[in-house]
Amino acid sequence: MNGARSPNINQAIIVKADTAQLGQVRRFVEEVGAQLSLDHERVFDLKVAVSEACANAVEHAGGKATPLKVCACTEGERLTFTVSDSGRFCPPCPSRRDRLGISGLGLPLMVALMDEVTFAHAPGGGTTVRLSVLLDHGPSVHP
Amino acid sequence: MDVQVTVLGGIPLLELEGDIDHGNSTLVESALREMLDSGSRLVLVDLTHVGYMDSGGISALFYGIRRLREKGWLGVIGPNHDLSRLFELVGLYADPSFRVFEDRPAAQEALAEEAGR
Repeated sequence: MNGARSPNINQAIIVKADTAQLGQVRRFVEEVGAQLSLDHERVFDLKVAVSEACANAVEHAGGKATPLKVCACTEGERLTFTVSDSGRFCPPCPSRRDRLGISGLGLPLMVALMDEVTFAHAPGGGTTVRLSVLLDHGPSVHP
Repeated sequence: MDVQVTVLGGIPLLELEGDIDHGNSTLVESALREMLDSGSRLVLVDLTHVGYMDSGGISALFYGIRRLREKGWLGVIGPNHDLSRLFELVGLYADPSFRVFEDRPAAQEALAEEAGR
């Protein structure tokens, strides 16, 4: 960001709980990244992390008719994407991976690529995954 | 995403083009399954025209690698910098049944070495 103050972002999209919608979610992340002039690597990392959160939500959302809400907002120099659904986040486990074909890599990737990842469960059902990056930091991964 | 199975130096080659995500990665795994069912101990996947991949795509590659473990290897060709970072993060580079080639000539060189063993 080169020291320039980031513009305020508060945007959201609602998509069907269907992995066929992941391309639309990635385009949303790209648009937000462009508004904030984020570098390519940071945008790529955000696309992967948000996509993983959406894919996990699809697994337990209870049908394609259930919508997923993806929000992007800035608070100071922090950009946070939230992915909200009406199901419950399921951490990866080998037996479930075998049964449902879930890779089990999604959560580790989210944690590795983001500056902060949190999960919140609403009492009446529903999970919100918060994925945050600090905008004055460079890309978080430099292998 | 486009998926095509061809041959390079007598070895099955999976050519992919586009983004690979949880919505289409089963196509990649299915193609790899067919290639591996043919009995080849080496398999190539050309990622030159793949700009994006999530853990769905990585999982498909792991499927191929698992099946080739202690028998041969799966080689990817031309992954971009972003894909290379993901492969590093999930530990693919540490797997002896995983190879990376900059381009097709580099892959053909490795195949020639294998043939000379």
